[in-house]
Amino acid sequence: MITTEVTVDELAALMKKAAGITVDPLELAQSFDAPFGTLGLDSLGLLGIVGELENRYSRPLPPDAERCKTPREFLDLVNDTLKAGA
Amino acid sequence: MSTQRPRNAAVTGIGVIAPNGLRTDAYWKSVSEGLSVLDTITREGCGHLPLRVAGEVRAFDAADLIEERFLVQTDRFSHYAMAATVLALDDAGLGSTGPENPYDVGVITAAGSGGGEFGQRELQKLWGQGSKFVGPYQSIAWFYAASTGQISIRGGFKGPCGVVASDEAGGLDAIAGAARGVRRGTGAMLVGAAEAPLAPYSMVCQLGYPELSTVEDPARAYRPFTEGASGFVPAEGGAMLVVEDEHRARERGAEIRALVAGHAATFTGASQWERSREGLAQAIRGALAEAGCAPEEIDVVFADALGVPAADRAEALAIADALGAHGTRVPVTAPKTGIGRAYCGAPLLDTAAAVLAMEHGRIPPTPNVFDVCHDIDLVTSNARPAELRTALVLSRGLMGSNAALVVRRGGENARPSGRT
Repeated sequence: MITTEVTVDELAALMKKAAGITVDPLELAQSFDAPFGTLGLDSLGLLGIVGELENRYSRPLPPDAERCKTPREFLDLVNDTLKAGA
Repeated sequence: MSTQRPRNAAVTGIGVIAPNGLRTDAYWKSVSEGLSVLDTITREGCGHLPLRVAGEVRAFDAADLIEERFLVQTDRFSHYAMAATVLALDDAGLGSTGPENPYDVGVITAAGSGGGEFGQRELQKLWGQGSKFVGPYQSIAWFYAASTGQISIRGGFKGPCGVVASDEAGGLDAIAGAARGVRRGTGAMLVGAAEAPLAPYSMVCQLGYPELSTVEDPARAYRPFTEGASGFVPAEGGAMLVVEDEHRARERGAEIRALVAGHAATFTGASQWERSREGLAQAIRGALAEAGCAPEEIDVVFADALGVPAADRAEALAIADALGAHGTRVPVTAPKTGIGRAYCGAPLLDTAAAVLAMEHGRIPPTPNVFDVCHDIDLVTSNARPAELRTALVLSRGLMGSNAALVVRRGGENARPSGRT
């Protein structure tokens, strides 16, 4: 496996960096199907995370990325895209 | 049908973030002692600019009062406004829980320039790294409306919200707007203004103002009403107030700190300081009329005090024009000479000082000003004890707006508002 996968730990770090939300990675893993809103992340915050990932991996993510409702939905989409492009 | 009772707009909470105090009590201590905190600007990237002296808010940590997720998406001017809001709500006894009825609480702020520091950072990323590196919060953080929006979202206040995007005097217009909101039926309004004009881009924008003082000695940079008047120095910070239906406030046992009694605003054109005499006098007359207040009832005037000779002359004459013989006898003060002019935040800081002065029975002095060359009774050096029932707050903007606000003392001994 190529290590392009974005982990829960990295998502937690991105939520802190892009949206100022402190979330414990373990808690994030447990709220994997909770709406981002309940974690305090708004749509602009998610857009900021998409931008960070696009810059980090130097490739665009699909438009649906910023519309994902939950951490699981988001990481599945992002990692599928990264794998497909690897 | 219930009988219509008059709805008076009462000030029940004050929150101040100012260069001379990060809480309301600290601000009043500095103001009443005539402390001047004007100093050389220390912000990064500003040292080469010809504007050297200002009132900086120092040792302020927004994270003490505001969650980080609100801080990352906002500029410093909103940090000050949100922090002042927390203090005002606590002061009003409304801080511990969210609003009982979200639609009964509204928010109005005034802003003179928005979030220049945030905007500069993101625009530098745009031109330095490319559009992909601009954060999405740029879309909201630097707008004039940002503070109103964030205060509303954070507090869950869904009543009437608005922004006065105007000159300095817009700060008083915002208070009037809040009073109108209360009179029209909203239970409470968060109202105020805070500014953050001390960042490289923001400072360059100000360099074009002919009224700006570029004097390098903090003790001499801002001395309105004197022969040495050489313009004004800018300041950061501001204040937020809780303006509430007086009846509602009394019902819940809140202290009525003051009543917003009257306001009027006029416009006489950018840098037309001689003409501001007429405009300011008319604003004073309008505010007195709305308050049902005779000129002799004004116990203290908080002056605009721009520090430009023609503007100072116009203000002294406007006070005399509107108040008659009383205009040369009434005590006038300008505590902002100790902190600078925080643009729209300045008249809010003055209104806070006016309420505190009435409560303490002390007129704060005008720091750094000793040799007054106009026919007004300017309070200098030390605070002057006085029985204060009614205060007049004046403000003018560099772009030509003039406004006057009459506030009455709250508490049991207060006269009823002119609206009753």
